[in-house]
Amino acid sequence: MALSLLTLKRFRIKSAAVKSDGAVLSSVLAELGRRQLPAGGWAALRLSAQASLESTCLATLAIGSDDSDEVRLAQEFLVRVQNPNGSWPAFSGDDRDGAWVTSLAAIALRDVATAIPARLSGIHWLMKCQGREANWFWRWKFLTADRHVRFDPDKFGWPWFPDTYSWVVPTAFAILGLSQVPCSCGGLEDIPLRVDLGIEMLMDRACPDGGWNAGNGVVYGSTLAPHPDDTAIALLALNNRTQHPVVQASLEWLERTAQTLTAPWSLAWAILALAAHGRAVGPLVTKLMALPDLSGNDDTCTLSLVCLAADCCRAWAGLGANL
Amino acid sequence: MIPSRRSFLVGSAALAAGASVSVPFFLPKYHAVWLAKRSRVAILNVDQYSERIDEVLASGLRLFRTNIQGKTVVLKPNLVDYTPGNAINTHPTLVLAAAESFRRMGARCVIVAEGPGHQRDTQLVLSQSGYADLLRNFAIPFVDLNRDELIHTRLRASYMGMKSLWLPRTVLEADFLVSMPKIKAHHWVGVTLSMKNMLGAVPGARYGWPKNILHWKGIQESIVDVCATIPVHFVIADGIMAMEGNGPLNGTARPLGKIVLADDPVAADATCPRLMGFEPDRIVHIREGAKFLGNISPALIDQVGNCLTPPATPFDVVPEFRHLYAV
Repeated sequence: MALSLLTLKRFRIKSAAVKSDGAVLSSVLAELGRRQLPAGGWAALRLSAQASLESTCLATLAIGSDDSDEVRLAQEFLVRVQNPNGSWPAFSGDDRDGAWVTSLAAIALRDVATAIPARLSGIHWLMKCQGREANWFWRWKFLTADRHVRFDPDKFGWPWFPDTYSWVVPTAFAILGLSQVPCSCGGLEDIPLRVDLGIEMLMDRACPDGGWNAGNGVVYGSTLAPHPDDTAIALLALNNRTQHPVVQASLEWLERTAQTLTAPWSLAWAILALAAHGRAVGPLVTKLMALPDLSGNDDTCTLSLVCLAADCCRAWAGLGANL
Repeated sequence: MIPSRRSFLVGSAALAAGASVSVPFFLPKYHAVWLAKRSRVAILNVDQYSERIDEVLASGLRLFRTNIQGKTVVLKPNLVDYTPGNAINTHPTLVLAAAESFRRMGARCVIVAEGPGHQRDTQLVLSQSGYADLLRNFAIPFVDLNRDELIHTRLRASYMGMKSLWLPRTVLEADFLVSMPKIKAHHWVGVTLSMKNMLGAVPGARYGWPKNILHWKGIQESIVDVCATIPVHFVIADGIMAMEGNGPLNGTARPLGKIVLADDPVAADATCPRLMGFEPDRIVHIREGAKFLGNISPALIDQVGNCLTPPATPFDVVPEFRHLYAV
């Protein structure tokens, strides 16, 4: 795969150690380019040949929106693998019911004029998709008979896959994806309502001392610990609610935790979220770039996240954080 | 009284309708039987995680006369999440000892593979729980089962009512798959042992974090279907420091001082509850597994190594599972 346009010039690294960070980023970008599959997608793991939609969307955002062969091939791939119902599959060859990555695909295709119909049908699918607790019967069950997990089933968001509960990460990405839609018309009038309900769901599922995990803050009366990546993704979706007490507590937790992180995926998400809420991230970027053998990381999503964390402004623009 | 032709027809139709509804409940939900005539379980006494585990495990494995020569061995530990001080995950020292033992026994390749059920950042769990350094230092490859290549696989049992699942290539193509659970009480299914551990092979990238579809379809049912479909060839269960109470994440560490080896996951999972003070046939997935996957009866299990001694005080469990206690 030609790497001519996968250059550093498009990234604005804020760290003081620009020279060394630039070399690291260059090698990560080159590796990302090498891993693009001939059909245009990216697999989740280095040695896999099965295109993953999460990897493809994040890589597309990471290598940018310029008119390069790599990006064009990736965008064509995304349009090609869309399901007939408007959703996107989790991976190439998957069943055709749809998956949470529909929001990520809509985000990755935001600036592609030829993909507007595909993106719109994806948005319509997202509007129809809801956590199973949206159904009155399950709401009643969780309010009366099944109280082991503490949550308010009246506040629902999006599931990983149709016909299951709402969870934090798919809800956060759906909020980001729907918030990019420029107008609430043509059958999309309810977008603001769904986004608000999704935000309420995120607030409800937060861990008692701040932060988020998959979506279970308290189980059997015990508090479960938050996760850095889930917390960061939720905070990105709540980027215009910085003053909310839940967001403040979560930011404090994430800022403390990020100092201790040595896993690039979580650290990169933490950088994006903290910066989106106006926190200083320079030392964290330096720390990320100094992690050993970043370009050798087996996980392709991690490579993309490293590139996005190196240029938060570009990442926010891509992910649709309203700053 | 002779029934009229009309009432005979109505009665026959009602009988046929009743049979069509009720018969599926009486038919077996498994598609084949893989029961061994006898199973072998070894209980090894080890009181702490130290270099001595290597020697104890190697001698324990010799009790099984297993042929590993030239095979690809996949070790599937239980890595859920990390909380400092909690006995959540299979200890890396035991996994390393298993990898080294199988290498010495002539394995072509030893891989560690897992797909954490709660935490999307697998590398973070590996790093925090002490795996990352060991895997790197001893050049043991790791595969994230949450993101591995997936193969559409027809299920070989139908307890949860699904015909197929997408499952990771690494476990399906393993020549010798070793389930390495942490012995823990579990708030949804009673215990988490070698069979429950296999739910970690269900890919998050396809089914989410947690693997929510399995909760909807029934966790006990999912365990049986997954174990029927992914054959577990051997079990090495970490009970040196076990967990009681509100497991799998928020329970209390409980020193048990045992490693349990078995050539049959059902036999292993029948033995571990006995060490915890539970009746294994009261645990739904073990009882169902015993119908076609392995042996639960002590009469069909050759006990080697140390004796099976129930604890003076049984493991604590959440109230819903107090019925597991052996009388």
